[in-house]
Amino acid sequence: MNLNQLLPTAALLSVLTVVSGCSPRVEVAVPNEPITINLNVKIEHEILVKVDREIDDLLSENSDIF
Amino acid sequence: MTKLRKILTVFALAFSLFSVPAWAISMDDAKAKGLIGEQVNGYLGYVKSPSSSVRAMVEAINNKRRAAYNKGAKNAGVERNVFEIRMGQRLQDRVPPGQYIQLQNGNWQRK
Repeated sequence: MNLNQLLPTAALLSVLTVVSGCSPRVEVAVPNEPITINLNVKIEHEILVKVDREIDDLLSENSDIF
Repeated sequence: MTKLRKILTVFALAFSLFSVPAWAISMDDAKAKGLIGEQVNGYLGYVKSPSSSVRAMVEAINNKRRAAYNKGAKNAGVERNVFEIRMGQRLQDRVPPGQYIQLQNGNWQRK
């Protein structure tokens, strides 16, 4: 029952894999990467903005030690 | 009269002892003279091997900085070393031409 239901999907998937493997369009996986990179940059940028804000405060309040 | 003058002289001398600034040399003077400079880690460092007064001044300032960085890092929600690295960049950017910054490899460079 279960196996019967899975079988067409599995067949389809394997065919797709083979087909996409044969096709010259290797770019299929590429769109995933820029998204992760952008996320990382965004997080780092937010942290940097927070840190920079604190640094601005320090610089204006403690001119004697900087 | 001479006695009064003597007393006044003693007083003047005594006062001159107290009026000596907290540091024999100020941070700005030491920077301008090329004795100290900004390191990459957000703290002052010695360009030349320091006299005891320069060393005392730098250590006191670096301790104050460390306390300030602790506070700033806590407010920003980051580790102190993250804060220090960014602070190092910011402080080195501010260094005016003619003064020294320490590069990642430990060498001092005159801006």
